Amino acid sequence: MNISINGESKIITDSISINDLLREFNVEAPDTVSVQLNGNFVDRKSFTSTFLKNNDEIDFLYFMGGGR
Amino acid sequence: MKGFSSKAIHGVISKKDVHGTLRFPLYDSAAFEAATAKDLEFAFEGKKLFHTYSRISNPTVDDFEQRIRVLTDSFGVVAVSSGMAAIAETVFALTETGSNIITSRFLFGNTISLFEKTFKRWGLHIKYADMTEPQSILPLIDENTRLIFLESITNPQLEVADVEKITSLVKIYSIPVVLDGTLTTPYLFNSKKAGVAIEIISSTKYISGGATTIGGLIIDNGSFDWNKVPALSDDARKAGPAVFLMRLRREIHRNLGSCISPHNAWLQVLGLETLALRIEKSSRNALLIAEFLSNNSKVRKVVYPGLPNSKSYDIAKKQFRSGFGGILVFELNNKEDCFRFIDNLTIIRRATNLNDNKTLIIHPASTIFCDYSAEEREKMLVTDRLIRLSVGIEDIDDLIDDLQTGLESI
Repeated sequence: MNISINGESKIITDSISINDLLREFNVEAPDTVSVQLNGNFVDRKSFTSTFLKNNDEIDFLYFMGGGR
Repeated sequence: MKGFSSKAIHGVISKKDVHGTLRFPLYDSAAFEAATAKDLEFAFEGKKLFHTYSRISNPTVDDFEQRIRVLTDSFGVVAVSSGMAAIAETVFALTETGSNIITSRFLFGNTISLFEKTFKRWGLHIKYADMTEPQSILPLIDENTRLIFLESITNPQLEVADVEKITSLVKIYSIPVVLDGTLTTPYLFNSKKAGVAIEIISSTKYISGGATTIGGLIIDNGSFDWNKVPALSDDARKAGPAVFLMRLRREIHRNLGSCISPHNAWLQVLGLETLALRIEKSSRNALLIAEFLSNNSKVRKVVYPGLPNSKSYDIAKKQFRSGFGGILVFELNNKEDCFRFIDNLTIIRRATNLNDNKTLIIHPASTIFCDYSAEEREKMLVTDRLIRLSVGIEDIDDLIDDLQTGLESI
């Protein structure tokens, strides 16, 4: 199925949880990343119970970026 | 890992170092190069964990922040240039012109100055309650109240409020309680468990481990619904539960430039590793000194939360993990006696810091509170007779001998 991660299309074979997605895509600092699913923030406690569906849009966000 | 010291020592192992170093390196660099333009775009958008510029974030500073986050089981931490910067950034993030904050008259002198002078000029109103009487807060709350601010142990009155009672009482108003936990640190007091939204710490004190460097911490305990804070509600949709941290990172902290230097953060991590040992020792020393002074006829009064006759003893014993911290105050007969006593000490040093490894002594009325009138100082219980002792980790017999010599000189 197709999903979008930070605006880029990705193909995954099975529906996986957000927790597994963080692992599979080697997302850095998984215990501090904020996750938006289709524009809504996912509670950290729900990372294992929230499964992705076809065409879902996922954004990983860190609130530390910026610069001059 | 469950233990406080284990977590403080081992921290968060996020990336394996190419040389296998056991100590996280000091990255003394202003800027960092991204591999691609896209990476840099993602870093600025917050979609990639990448340090671009050390005013906003830095790997060594991040190591310090992540260790504190793990130790406190908090949502996120921002390390800043000083404890005062931590208070200023937090107030800037949560208030606007016309807002009011509720606090105690018993605060660190510079904190009162920040509220009463600096922030007042920008239209912030300050209201005072007796934090040891939590009900006194309620009549002061109105639609413009944006935060409640208190210290875990007030300096220098050494008063301890029932923090959990305060947070429970104001919960229905959705007003965050901000606690300055400098004198207790997360080792002695679990502010998250007590319902505190934000804990602020001057890491210059206990954490730095020997007064090496100046630093401050803002800890978002992750227990408060920021959607209900007017100053943050616009951004809550963009950042969800991270909105307070985002406001700091992407606006207040970034724009004020009150970043901690990587060098300071590196030294403070070093200090953090021995924090528990030092708090235990200085607390033990402080209690023994408080008992010694209490038994001397030249000492009018001793205040230390660990003395059973202290009015803060019961709540401090219930609230703090073990020990009562390293600060005590006492009164001699007059200012002249205080000065003579202080000048006759040899081991105990005359300086204005707290929780150094060395025991430090100061006369607060003539120093930290010198900008206030005698009348104002009396209201703050900072009399001319008062001496503040920040007890270090020296051998107790040497400290008692020194104090004895000082007392014999008056």
